[in-house]
Amino acid sequence: MQQTNRISRAWILQLLLTVAAAPQTAQAVPSFARQTGMACEACHTVFPELTHFGRMFKANAFTLDNLKQVRDIDATKQEMLSLANLPPLSVMIQISDTWLKSPLPDGTGGPGHSQTSTVGFPQQFSLFYAGKVAPHLGAMIQLTYANDSGTIGIDNTDLRFANQIVLPQETSLIYGISVNNNPTVQDLWNSTPAWGFPYAGTNAAVSPLAGTQIDGALAQDVAGISAYVMWNEALYGEFGAYRSAKQGVTNPITGAAGPLDGTVSNVISGAAPYGRVAYEYQWRRHDLELGVYGATFKLYPGGGTTGAPALLSGPANEFRDFAEDLQYQFIGDAHLFTVAATHIHESMRLDASFATGAVTNPTDTLTTTRVTATYYYRRKWGGTIGHFATTGSADAGLYPAGPAPGVITSANASPDTRGWIVEANYLPWLNTKLSLQYITYDQFNGGSGNYDGFGRNASGNGSTYLLLWLAF
Amino acid sequence: MKRPLAISLGCLLLLVVSSASADEADNATRAAAARVAVGTCASCHGPQGHSYSPKFPVLAGQHASYLVTQLQAFRAQTRGDADAVGYMWGMSAPLDDAMMAALADYYGKQTPRAGPTGEPGLLARGKDIYQNGDSGQGVPPCAPCHGPGAAGTDAFPRLAGQHRQYLIKQLNSFQSNMRNVAIMHGVAVGLHLADMEAVATYLQSLGPLP
Repeated sequence: MQQTNRISRAWILQLLLTVAAAPQTAQAVPSFARQTGMACEACHTVFPELTHFGRMFKANAFTLDNLKQVRDIDATKQEMLSLANLPPLSVMIQISDTWLKSPLPDGTGGPGHSQTSTVGFPQQFSLFYAGKVAPHLGAMIQLTYANDSGTIGIDNTDLRFANQIVLPQETSLIYGISVNNNPTVQDLWNSTPAWGFPYAGTNAAVSPLAGTQIDGALAQDVAGISAYVMWNEALYGEFGAYRSAKQGVTNPITGAAGPLDGTVSNVISGAAPYGRVAYEYQWRRHDLELGVYGATFKLYPGGGTTGAPALLSGPANEFRDFAEDLQYQFIGDAHLFTVAATHIHESMRLDASFATGAVTNPTDTLTTTRVTATYYYRRKWGGTIGHFATTGSADAGLYPAGPAPGVITSANASPDTRGWIVEANYLPWLNTKLSLQYITYDQFNGGSGNYDGFGRNASGNGSTYLLLWLAF
Repeated sequence: MKRPLAISLGCLLLLVVSSASADEADNATRAAAARVAVGTCASCHGPQGHSYSPKFPVLAGQHASYLVTQLQAFRAQTRGDADAVGYMWGMSAPLDDAMMAALADYYGKQTPRAGPTGEPGLLARGKDIYQNGDSGQGVPPCAPCHGPGAAGTDAFPRLAGQHRQYLIKQLNSFQSNMRNVAIMHGVAVGLHLADMEAVATYLQSLGPLP
């Protein structure tokens, strides 16, 4: 029983850490503008939301270049090298201040409280290589320092190969391959998790316990390869698979970067399939996308020690994620309007964790819905309002009631969380954004009042977040 | 006597060979231009130059000589309206003269079509300005340069079927000299916004000449 508790806690801790570490940001990268010679507005409504042209630039592997190149060809005039004179490097800095509505209990266990305001200076500092690598090969590689980890690590990474052929009737067929480290980071629309709103968020507030696996839980923890096609810049299909590719994890015997064993949590069994189909329809200044995406992840809970083994064999926990998404854009010269929505349903079959008593149900479900509406005036002033909700089956193993002092616990073992997000933005220049974001919760980890069993209310986890976001 | 004949035959052969290779090069450039048009330009200018968004002009059926002039102006960064600066300065930078000519030829050969029509009163006012100008505002008629059906000529662009909002934006750019074309500044400087809308609505509604 003690062993079971240890496994349970380790797994839950890992789950918490991965949810907390889910990327809060998406980026726009000025080196793309330098490479194409085009202003940000060609690819973005307001960064990082993509326009149709931006989606095609990404689908074509970031290779459109208008710079003078260092070239080489072979005897058949086949292009062997095409390098920009300057590497496509960019820098991003986020400086922020976060105010929690209700202070958190002091971590010492004493009667005091923590500060209510947290300054991030920087909250995040990123270096990008983003642009063409070779004639049909491009990359967006992000290296990030974050103030919560205090370390530099690999962030969203997407290496792409793409080419296209012209079909009869002069329609285009783009085909490509993406190698990336975050399911949906390769996606073209801003309605899927990796590039969905909020594009930046605080890392100094309380995150709810529950989140689906495809919703960022495995970001930067996996490596995937997927093949995609896009017909006539409208119909998009993709299929791929992900394997675990843990960062900062070593084999306990050799101290080397692997192989992974039972001491590591949430290792994918084999390869996790990923699929995506979307259709985009354009008329006048309007652009509508409807799509579905999903993946099945079989994870070994792991996290065992030599005294309490948790083998990477036998039963695993299976997470089947299936999602629908929608994006509508109106892009006028003065007025820009976007609606984005996604609905993710996750079915869990927790054979491994149920066998050890780490969860109370053999199967669970989780559903996340997000809807946002964004308006900008002349790409300078704007804002977003959004509603989010996560609901699912109660499970005291996944959403535990203790220990004190609560906060990240659930008194009724429920994952249900609902709330609103409102953000106001001002961009004095296209690559500089000043944001004020407010999040309020109607329900948090299953409750409104005393949701954690230690007297904290859902509304107390609301936060106000002031951000200066520079990309150059 | 035989020697000049041999030289003549040699020259003829050389001419045939060089002409064939020039055709080959032209064909290769044309094929490359079609790929660029379908694979890159179409993302904004639409399939066969029929753009969806009025932010981007319809290119189908536009005169090749006009398109080449504009592409050269983008590349030289002398056309200064906002979308030219933001989009086309970059896009035109890697195009050489042969590719510009081939792209212009590609779009020139596409079939133009009429855009949406408008309210009858607005169309009538637009047609009147187009054909007769407005002497009160000092606005000359458009038809003498752009042709009776607004089909354009080698020197003046086709306007028939062009997006209304695009035409209005260009007239404003001429008026403010952001797009610095002396002759069009003279035309647009006295044009009121309501009349810009009228003439643009009329032009958008026009299809190809029968």
